[in-house]
This record gives sequence, structure tokens and C-alpha cells, in this order.
Amino acid sequence: MRLLFVPLCLVALVGCAPADDPAAAETASAFLRAVADRDGAAACDALAPAVRDKMGETCAEDILNASLPAPSPVTDTQVYGQRALVRLGTESVFLGMFPGGWRVVAAGCTARGDRPYDCAVTD
Amino acid sequence: MKRFLRENSLGLVFGLLFLVVLVGQAFAGHADYNQQQLAAGMEPVPMGRYLTSASFAVDVAENWQSEYLQFFLYIFLTVWLVQKGSPESKELGSEGRGSDKEQKVGAFATDASPRWARLGGLRGTLFANSLGLVMGTLFLLSWLTQSIAGVAAFNEEQLRDLQEPVTWARYLTEPDFWNRTLQNWQSELLAVASMVILSIYLRQRGSPESKPVGSAHDATGVEG
Repeated sequence: MRLLFVPLCLVALVGCAPADDPAAAETASAFLRAVADRDGAAACDALAPAVRDKMGETCAEDILNASLPAPSPVTDTQVYGQRALVRLGTESVFLGMFPGGWRVVAAGCTARGDRPYDCAVTD
Repeated sequence: MKRFLRENSLGLVFGLLFLVVLVGQAFAGHADYNQQQLAAGMEPVPMGRYLTSASFAVDVAENWQSEYLQFFLYIFLTVWLVQKGSPESKELGSEGRGSDKEQKVGAFATDASPRWARLGGLRGTLFANSLGLVMGTLFLLSWLTQSIAGVAAFNEEQLRDLQEPVTWARYLTEPDFWNRTLQNWQSELLAVASMVILSIYLRQRGSPESKPVGSAHDATGVEG
């Protein structure tokens, strides 16, 4: 469910919890599944335009060699505005909302405390 | 109709200006948000989506809370504190809540007094403090809204920067929350202090916020 903030209605803690968007979780799962199935074209289709552009014409091959983990069940989804973070076991996938739906912005990410995640695939 | 407009022109003009400026903020905020979207490799969002975003809500709420805090403090502190020479202050020596006779409450209420001014007990106390209480309540609600919308907007930026989102409780300790809060508080307090002090020496002919032009600088509690 999308967050709805109405400033005139000075309100509700409940409306501001991170949304649990199944579409974001499905995109992250499908992306890792495509990599595990060696379907590089499908994996690249799930990437955000800037990431796909960075990977260039060899995206479908390179994405399969990016040391991405096999898909695990989704354990947590947090959506804030146009951004989402989906956790699948120990893997964290960052997504962005585009006109065609959720796309992967970063994957293969390792936490570094308060510093940004170190990600194998990003723009 | 013409009479209604004339007799309520102050409230109507400020209400209208508020709406015009809020619409202006919405357009400017939308453009700014979309600039950030493009810079981050994302797509622009339509106005409707921006207006329901945490980003817009926090930008609005952080200013509202400080305005209501300003009036809440001003209303309550001017009961007890005075400023020699300022039309914003009561006369020296009249600090405090005033007698029932001065305040026209209870047995001293007149036929024109509001009904709750004649009542004692909780209702009488509530009405006697209703202006400050409502301002204080609006401040707390606006500040709560700022914190709730703020954590969502902050987390959107955290995810953009590939950083960990935070909980609401953690956000209350984040520099982002206190920077938004304190930058608004300091400006409101400066504005009030300026008004209290400058109105001792400066005049605006015809304004009830000023002393009459010919009043002495040390005349206190006189409105023009």
C-alpha cells in the first residue's frame, strides 16, 4: 500500500509504517531467480535503466558473473516513496519505482554499518 | 456580503494568502523533488504523487509546528513576562492571570460573555486557557506529523544512497530531525524577539501591533 500523507489531517502513526509491497518483493525474487536460471536477458530486464546502461551490451552475460546469491525466501520488504529495500535471507536488493513498475537499483549488497552498502551490481 | 468581507478582511486575506503560498510551495517542491529524481537516475513523478508523499508532508509540517510553538509560547509567556515599552506586553505590574473581575469570569461575567466564561470547574478552566491549549495541541500534532513524515522521507533518501533505513524512534535522534526542527524554532524566536523589541522604538501608524505614533518609548501595553 502506498503511503498517503495528508498534511491537513495531522495524523496516524499507522499510516507511516513502511509499506510491505508484494510487487517490490516479487521483482527482487524474479531478478535473483533469473540469474540462478542463467537467464541473463530476463535479469537485465529487471534492472533500472541507469544500471542497465552502465552494464552496456554485455549485460546479459556480465550479470550472470556478478557473484549474485541464489534466491532465498523474502524476509522483509520496506517501501518508502519511490524506493524499496527487499531482504531475501542475507541478501539485500534495492529497488526504485519506474513507470513500468519496480526495477533493481542495486543487488549483491554487503552492509557496512552506517556507510552505504557495498553492492556488486549498481549504477 | 460586502459587509462580511470588510468585517473579516484580515482573516480572509491571510487565509487566501496561505492557500496561494501553499500552492506555490507545492509547485516548487514538486520541481525540486523531480530534479532529485532525475539526478538519481529515476523518473519524474506526477504532481498528485508528490502531494501525497512524505517529502511534501514533512516540508509543510516542519514549518507548521514552529509557527504553532511560537504562538503557544507567546500566549503563555506574556501572561507572566513583560517588556517595558512594548505594545506586545501588558503594563508593568500587571503580570499574572488577572482577577475574575478583570477577566469577566464567573460572577463577573456579563450578558455578552461566552457561556463557558460564566462556568467554574473544568469547563471554565478549559475555556480560560483555550487559546494557548489549542495552539499547544496543534504544535504537538504538527511536530508529531513532522516526525512521522520525516522518517519516511529520510528513509527514502537512505535507500537512494544505499543506506539502512531507520525506525521512528531512531529518527528522533537523527540530525535530520533536529536540524529541521531547530532551524524553524530559531527563526520563530528571532521574529518574536524582534517584534517585542523593535515595537518599543518603531511605529506603524494605524496598526494595533504598534503603539500610537506619538506614544513615548517607555509607554507599555499601549496599542495604536
